Amino acid sequence: MAIEVRIPTILRTYTGGERAVESTGASVAEVIDALESAHPGIKERLVEDGAVRRFVNIYVDDEDIRFTGALETPVAESSTVVILPAVAGGAVSDLAAQGPAPLPA
Amino acid sequence: MTRFANLIESVGGTPLVGLPTISPSADVRLWAKLEDQNPTGSIKDRAALAMIEAAEADGRLTPGCTILEPTSGNTGISMAMVAKMRGYRMVCVMPENTSEERRQLLRMWGAEIIPSPAAGGSNEAVRVAKGIAAEHPDWVMLYQYGNPANAGAHYSGTGPEILADLPEVTHFVGGLGTTGTLMGVGRFFREHKPEVRIVAAEPRYGELVYGLRNMDEGFVPELYDESMIDARFSVGPRDAVRRVRELIDSEGIFAGISTGAILHAALAQAAKSITAGESADIVFVVCDGGWKYLSTGAYEGTLDEAEDALEGQLWA
Repeated sequence: MAIEVRIPTILRTYTGGERAVESTGASVAEVIDALESAHPGIKERLVEDGAVRRFVNIYVDDEDIRFTGALETPVAESSTVVILPAVAGGAVSDLAAQGPAPLPA
Repeated sequence: MTRFANLIESVGGTPLVGLPTISPSADVRLWAKLEDQNPTGSIKDRAALAMIEAAEADGRLTPGCTILEPTSGNTGISMAMVAKMRGYRMVCVMPENTSEERRQLLRMWGAEIIPSPAAGGSNEAVRVAKGIAAEHPDWVMLYQYGNPANAGAHYSGTGPEILADLPEVTHFVGGLGTTGTLMGVGRFFREHKPEVRIVAAEPRYGELVYGLRNMDEGFVPELYDESMIDARFSVGPRDAVRRVRELIDSEGIFAGISTGAILHAALAQAAKSITAGESADIVFVVCDGGWKYLSTGAYEGTLDEAEDALEGQLWA
């Protein structure tokens, strides 16, 4: 049984438009390496300097891997890996670029 | 004490209730912090009051001032209530496709509403609000995602209340939006009972909501500090709706959809405690009641129908 990896809309250019692909590996790092072999270029969008990129969240069975061992988080054969961009409750994608509210003069 | 000089003084001090039916065992217990019992019916009364009082204290807000906030939700309603009591003018910028119930509630509490284009959603509302703020430098935007007083309300209120009511608490589970609740309660327990684990429940929306142009354009609120939490669960609308229905069926609590997501994470934590053979007292937040969400379709029909109805909606 392969591990299911769910791909967000903006990374589906790497997976030929597929919303979910199969991968293998015993850890998130191995799953991403296998993903890279099948879909070259995707790893660089997820990982930077050996860590998950700031605006990327990766979940193994709905739990954020930053709190379960990061890229070394174990992945079981029956696991689902979900990749999502970080958004706020209000889906404000360019808020970060705008910075906090200006203080009154 | 249950007597107050005015409504604002009654913010906080919410009940903590045991959940004998939904708790998985006698040793792993769930407790609900009923934030829907705040004056305007949501946990946001705490943050709105704290942000306004902080701005008063540092001189940004003075009598007759206008408060501006891009919000269509609970924060706007809470700010409008406090602004009314304190004599400020309240202006909310909200997308024109927001529900009529929200508009009526805001108007009832005296807020003025400036519509922003539907396309672009909250993004656009923030952009419009920032433009308006630039034109009116005397107006005050409190900006809940980056305002330390938001987390401060939970550091000085929610956290201490929980510890006083349940000294044996082992876990706190809250929703992750502005991150104010988790940052404030998390910091309080880090300082006063560091063995308490802080668990975040993050709503997972439909694809439309994540339609960013680029993976580098995500958003992490300025308040967020990863070191304040110990686990973070992503919860989709199906699980949130399932749990919100369980909560009313088993315990009689009628909560909003985001509370369903938080309960789901609390039960995931409870299952881990049972597997580990540990006893646990898990406190989770009931953010608001279900009233404002009846029109979403979450409370009727099958789970499939509710899940379809919530697709593309910001349900938490």
